[in-house]
Amino acid sequence: MRKRWLPFVILGALAVCFAAGMAPGAGFTAKAAPPAPGAAVKGIVKFQGTIPKPSHIDMSADPKCAQIHPTGATTEDIVADGNGGLQNVVVYVSDGLGDRKFETPQEAAVIEQKGCMYKPHVVAVRANQELKVVNADPTTHNIHPAPNNNREFNQTQPPGLPLSATFAREEIAIPVKCNIHPWMRSYIAVFKHPYFAVTVKDGSFEIGNLSPGTYTITAWHEKLGMTFQKITIGESETKTIEFVFKAQPGS
Amino acid sequence: MGLRWVKEKVRRSMGIATVKRITVQLLTLGALLSAVQPSYAIPAFARKYNLRCSDCHEAWPKLNNFGQTFKDQGYQLMTGRDAPIYQQTSYFPIMFRSIPFWHRESDNRVATDLVPGNPGSGQVESRVTTSGFDISGLDIWTAGTLYKNISFAVQPALDSSGKAHLLTYYVRFDNLLGSRWLNLKVGKFELDTLISEERELFLTNTGGFYQNYHFTPPGDRTSFGLGDHQLGAELLGHSINDYTRYSISVLNSNDGQVGATASTYDVYGHFDQGFELPKMGLQRIGVYGYVGQRPTFFQTSGGAPIAGTGMGNRSFSRTGLYGLWYLGKFDFTTFYLHGQDNVFLGNGVRADQPFNLPPGAAGPTWNGGFVEAHYTYNPQLILLSKFETVQMSRQANPATRKNLGDVRVWTVGYRWYPIMSSRAGLAWHQEYARAVTVGTAPLTGRDDVTSSFLMGFDFDF
Amino acid sequence: MMNGSRIALVLLMSCGIPSFSQESAIGNLTGHAKSGKALYRRYCITCHGAHGDGAGENAPHLDPKPRDFTRSTFKCRSTPSGTLPTDSDLYDTISRGVYNSGMPPWRPLTRQDRADLVAYIKTFSPRFHEEPPGTPLLIPPEPPASPESVQRGAELFQNMNCWSCHGKEGRGNGPSALTLTDSKGYPIVPFDLTSGMHFKCGDSSRGAFRDLITGLDGTPMPSFTDALKPEQVWDLVHFIESLQSAGTREASQAKAEPNVK
Repeated sequence: MRKRWLPFVILGALAVCFAAGMAPGAGFTAKAAPPAPGAAVKGIVKFQGTIPKPSHIDMSADPKCAQIHPTGATTEDIVADGNGGLQNVVVYVSDGLGDRKFETPQEAAVIEQKGCMYKPHVVAVRANQELKVVNADPTTHNIHPAPNNNREFNQTQPPGLPLSATFAREEIAIPVKCNIHPWMRSYIAVFKHPYFAVTVKDGSFEIGNLSPGTYTITAWHEKLGMTFQKITIGESETKTIEFVFKAQPGS
Repeated sequence: MGLRWVKEKVRRSMGIATVKRITVQLLTLGALLSAVQPSYAIPAFARKYNLRCSDCHEAWPKLNNFGQTFKDQGYQLMTGRDAPIYQQTSYFPIMFRSIPFWHRESDNRVATDLVPGNPGSGQVESRVTTSGFDISGLDIWTAGTLYKNISFAVQPALDSSGKAHLLTYYVRFDNLLGSRWLNLKVGKFELDTLISEERELFLTNTGGFYQNYHFTPPGDRTSFGLGDHQLGAELLGHSINDYTRYSISVLNSNDGQVGATASTYDVYGHFDQGFELPKMGLQRIGVYGYVGQRPTFFQTSGGAPIAGTGMGNRSFSRTGLYGLWYLGKFDFTTFYLHGQDNVFLGNGVRADQPFNLPPGAAGPTWNGGFVEAHYTYNPQLILLSKFETVQMSRQANPATRKNLGDVRVWTVGYRWYPIMSSRAGLAWHQEYARAVTVGTAPLTGRDDVTSSFLMGFDFDF
Repeated sequence: MMNGSRIALVLLMSCGIPSFSQESAIGNLTGHAKSGKALYRRYCITCHGAHGDGAGENAPHLDPKPRDFTRSTFKCRSTPSGTLPTDSDLYDTISRGVYNSGMPPWRPLTRQDRADLVAYIKTFSPRFHEEPPGTPLLIPPEPPASPESVQRGAELFQNMNCWSCHGKEGRGNGPSALTLTDSKGYPIVPFDLTSGMHFKCGDSSRGAFRDLITGLDGTPMPSFTDALKPEQVWDLVHFIESLQSAGTREASQAKAEPNVK
């Protein structure tokens, strides 16, 4: 008869314990798998206003770079074509996927140091996906991402030495620099899911294999900021949307 | 502080110079300066290095081991930015400290006239109690580096009447030959000790100094205080974390009196060793010894003594050991001293006139010590207590009562630091102290009990 | 206790409530974050801030800025770039201080105090919970500093583009030098290799070797561990040492810090 209340207290505490879900990363498993993905969202990102002239990059500090670019190169912070199509914008699903988990792809993404510039200027990868860093130049570079939500590292890379990196957490986007060549700049966007794209020369993008539903699509640009819109797509529907970035005052 | 000096002067003016006293002998300028109670907590260093007071001080002004190491390194952190060239040109290493307070002093056996104003009415012993607001003297303190590995300190202290004294004044050559075991200090300075009277946490007239550092037996002419700032040169060395320290000093035989020379030199040696006890902290034991001489008479011209020509020099010594014990938030300081003065010094007789010695005269000896306990609740609150005693083991004149001059002092208090920043300091201080000295009541020869209570704001900027 | 209670109690204990008490292990010392917190409040808070983010009251007056522990990026490590330092790395940095900065050598604190501080500092970033420290990189024995080794080091200094920051003579005035910023965006200068000054993370040839292979995370100084073989790194160390004027080099070698206690 003694301490009859004890088991109830313990069980009560146990219930609270599980309810809090305190073991880190112990997410609930997804509910029933969504219907077959066949929907897509595509479109174009445009720049409105006068396209600012890129600045000139003088590469004479490193003779090996100057050899490849005798007249120098230009900055890539705002790259747009004649129709205002904005390149290097990361377009991605920022909401609407619930708690779905996605497998990490086996194939690696690639970023190249070529002509003493990063190619591509913006690369999007999956969390824990291998990112191959290639030095295709005759000079030594150093690869130095400066993340807020991932590990920061800084590695010297002589010509031809293979290097790989992975980023464990979602972050949009990680600035990357080379300290040896201070004009070099790129961005790595890391995603937990596969629904993203980086706009190409004419500003166009396509994100496919979506299940029907309501999503928030966000567009991110390194200089012009972020903008988003909400869409609803039905089964096998392809929705076309447009993002517009305006010129910043004073730029 | 200043009040203690005033009290002593009042006693003397009552014409009881022949009665043997053992309260602080304020005969020399050096002793007077110790009554002004300057203490060191130096916001100038906090400004230079962007560190808080609590980094170097257990509870300012008491140093912790990091602060003691900083001091032993010549007020240098050894991070490559100690030389003055690294400071802003507007930085000047100066600080001020002062204390406005309210206090109450009481002495239970003072010779007073039976009828106030009428000396012919006869005298009785009565209790005299005074109280009121007051201010301490002003500490002006400047110290730092002249150059990498050349440090200095200058302290012109003002007593509460505004009169200035040169208390500390030295240049120090640090890390000679690239070794932290060789540091040479020349000038006027406090003797090297880890129990620094200048950094003591007590402020009252009764409890704010160490009796053992100033004790002189009744009738003894030796003018010396272990806590007085001496004139001379000191060689000091320490290990990289300051756990092992030694120092050797050669001092003028005149208790640090400025503007006067002496005919002999004194020597002081000190050694201490720290060790860690698991779960408790850093413990230290130290041993020290001061051996000096004092003249018993001077050459004269027309009957007037010629300064610096002391003759008939006889010796005295102060030796002992101490320990600093840390047990978590508690820390204890234990201290022992053995004092010994030559028979001529002890009886105030010229060494060339031994016939003037009383029958059976001997060199007086005494033993003393204290236990001081602190509880540092956090860097902004510290509780304090101290018990100190000095006991004569042999009187200079065997006719004197055996324990005449023995003293026992109890002190309790606390300090609360409402602000703790890297620029200035403020402490609220409350303290009570009570001293019993044996046989020194002026008329009856009974025990004299004095007490002090103080509360005030100690500020430092 | 009744059977039901016993089972419930066992289930409760297997809940796996994560322990938020941090500990550190340095040699045979165990440090405790709880004790470290009181020490941090006394010694560290004024620069590193109450939240360990390097935004203490004195931070605006300091250059370089105090370390932001929440980013878990540390300069002085024995582990590869991008990985966490070991407890001993943090302990050594606390003891040695960081030369030419506002970080004093805290060696006068007891060993236990320093171990406790390491444990507390680790609580500022969740990374210390989530991943183990990197595996310390090995420093092989140093081969003799022959003129050939110095010459090979000179070639490496050229090919590895060290001169772009440190300058052709190592004086810290290379073409990229004025563009450099640390990872928080504050300007930072490359080390003047000719100055004979102590390195930030400790002296001696081994210290220089270690800096080269681990890189100083949070600064533009990269890691060479993938790019160079160990003997090449020693060549580079010998060349760097030859840049210091003979007098200061010997003096700084002689002052190489003793084994940190």
